[in-house]
Amino acid sequence: MTDTSDQRGELTITRIFAAPPALVFECMTTPAHLTHFWGPAGASTPLAGITVEPRPGGRFETLMVNDETGEEYPMRGVFVEFDPPHRLSFTEADVEGGMTTSIVFNDLGDGRTETVTHQTNVPPMLMSPEARDGLESSFVKMDAYLATL
Amino acid sequence: MNNQKVEYKLTDDPLSLTFAALADPTRRSILVRLARGEATVGDLAEPFDMTLQAVSKHLKVLEGAGLISRGRDAQFRPCHLEPGPLDAATEWIVQNRRIWTERFDQLEQHLQRLKDTTDKETAP
Repeated sequence: MTDTSDQRGELTITRIFAAPPALVFECMTTPAHLTHFWGPAGASTPLAGITVEPRPGGRFETLMVNDETGEEYPMRGVFVEFDPPHRLSFTEADVEGGMTTSIVFNDLGDGRTETVTHQTNVPPMLMSPEARDGLESSFVKMDAYLATL
Repeated sequence: MNNQKVEYKLTDDPLSLTFAALADPTRRSILVRLARGEATVGDLAEPFDMTLQAVSKHLKVLEGAGLISRGRDAQFRPCHLEPGPLDAATEWIVQNRRIWTERFDQLEQHLQRLKDTTDKETAP
């Protein structure tokens, strides 16, 4: 898995799965599959909380539940593109600034699929590692400065 | 209209304010400059070849997002960088990246389970 940032300020995550595009696409868009993997570590996504309307303009909603605290994290997305098994994108209006996530499914021709996940509307200054490092060292300096006040 | 409601909600959210403020390259440069130490509007206007009014406008946006604070000195009102909202924005991005990484880890395992099941079913 690679995790890079490009100049347009998008978070890009590239990943290769040992399954053909049709199956990976199906997993990403079918509640019965999503419930098995959508929630990150320590959270689960009950089937009842998943809505997939498989068409552009359709809803894509999930409800992640923290396994320990029961805290709920709703995601309310709307599909912009729904093009199996090639391309999928959805926007989340209630996320900061209206975030768009797009996933491209590339057929590697040997039964594997490369997915390229882009998230846009991420502030560019925070996305480039150099910028982040620069900012962090600035903060270290600033903390030192503040301590002298 | 519905749009206006959404707009209001977005700008109302502190993280949205931070991201909106950071979306402008001049404002980012101002923050980088302020990371080196406090500065007045005049100090900030100089390297950017901008009018004091234009810089003041940017500062107002940054102040509204809580990214800077300004001194009380009526004449100069020096600007300070406030790291809090930036930390929150960075934290959000780091967390989001983590979520997708873990999600794909689990998808990988899910695909493996599917494959195991299919293999078992098709086994002689």
